[in-house]
Amino acid sequence: MAARLLLRSAFRAATTCRAAPVPALTRGVTTGGIPTDEEQATGLEKVILKATKEGKDPYSMLKPKEYAGTKADPHLVPSVTNKRIVGCVCEEDNTAVIWFWLHEGEAQRCPSCGSHYKLVPHELPH
Amino acid sequence: MAHQAHAYHMVDPSPWPLTGAISALLMTSGLATTFHYKTTTLLFLGTTLLLLTMFQWWRDIIRESTFQGHHTTSVQKGHGYGMVLFITSEVFFFIGFFWAFYHSSLAPAIELGGLWPPTGITPLDPFEVPLLNTAVLLASGVTVTWAHHSIIEGARKPALQSLTLTVLLGLYFTALQAMEYYEAPFTLADGVYGCTFFVATGFHGLHVIIGTTFLMVCLLRHTHYHFTSKHHFGFEAAAWYWHFVDVVWLFLYISIYWWGS
Repeated sequence: MAARLLLRSAFRAATTCRAAPVPALTRGVTTGGIPTDEEQATGLEKVILKATKEGKDPYSMLKPKEYAGTKADPHLVPSVTNKRIVGCVCEEDNTAVIWFWLHEGEAQRCPSCGSHYKLVPHELPH
Repeated sequence: MAHQAHAYHMVDPSPWPLTGAISALLMTSGLATTFHYKTTTLLFLGTTLLLLTMFQWWRDIIRESTFQGHHTTSVQKGHGYGMVLFITSEVFFFIGFFWAFYHSSLAPAIELGGLWPPTGITPLDPFEVPLLNTAVLLASGVTVTWAHHSIIEGARKPALQSLTLTVLLGLYFTALQAMEYYEAPFTLADGVYGCTFFVATGFHGLHVIIGTTFLMVCLLRHTHYHFTSKHHFGFEAAAWYWHFVDVVWLFLYISIYWWGS
C-alpha cells in the first residue's frame, strides 16, 4: 500500500511540468537570473566587448594580419603616435632582429631584407 | 581608463604584499617562540595579520574586476595559467608526503615488525567512514560541476542550490574527518605510521577547509550577482581547486586507507 502511494507520488512528480519560468528579477537580467556580460560588463572589459562586436581590435588582442611586405602589399603597422619601433625577423628563425623606427608617411624598407613597412594611425578609445 | 594601448591590467600600488610578507615573518618566528617559550602572542599576531591581508587583497581584486572592469579576457587567461601553476605546485607538495608514506610502507623496518601496518597499530577500516568521505567528496565534485553548468546557462537558482550543496558536502567531510581524528586508536606520535597518516591526511584536511572557504566566497559573490554567464573565473578557479582536493583524497584513500591497511 505504501509502495503504491510512493509510486503514485513519484509518477505525479515525474510528469508535472517543472519548467515553470523563473520570474525575471530586478537589475535588468533577462532570463534565469544570472546577468550576461552585455548587461554587466564595465570599464575596459566593456570597451573591448563593444569593440569586438563591431569587428575592431583597438587593444591589439588578435594576431596581427600577415602581409607580403612588397611595395604593393606593405606590412601595415598600427601606431597611436606618429612613429613606432619595428623589429624585422627577415627570415624565419633568424636570431638577429633588425630594429628601426618607422615614421608616418611613405613606406620604409627594412635595411636588411628590404621588406616594406607603412605606419597607419590606430584609434584608441578614450 | 584607456590611456594604455594593451588589454592587460597594470595594478595600482598596494600594501598587501608587504603585510603578507610581515605576517609570514611573524607566523614563522611566532611558531618558534610558541614551541620554545609557550607564548602564542607573535603567532596570534601573525595569523591575524595574515587573515586581514587575505581579506583585503582579495576584496581589492573583486573591486578591480567586478566593479572596475579591469579583468579582460587576456587578464583572465593569465589568471588561468597562474591557478594551474599554483595547483601544480600543491600537487608536488603532496607528492612529498606520498613519497614518505611509500618509503616507509613498501619495505617496513624491522623496528616496526617488518610489516605494514606496523605491529601494534590498528588501522581504520577503509570501508567505514573513509568510504563515506570518498562518496561525499565525489558527490561534491558532481554538485560543483552542476553549479558551473547552471552559471553558464544563466540559471541563478540551480546555481545557488548546487553551490550551497557543494559547500555543505565540504563541511560534512570536515566534520566526519574531525570525528575520525578524535576517535582514532592511534595518534601522530605513534611511529612512522601515525606520522605519515596524520601529516598527509592533515594537510589534505587543511586544503579541504581552504577549498570550502573559497567556494563559500563564490557562493556569497553569486548571491550578489558578481558572476556573468561568460565571466566567472573566480568560480572556475575554486572548482579547479576543489577537484584537486578530491583527487588528492582519492590517492590518500587508495594508498593509505586501503592498501596501507
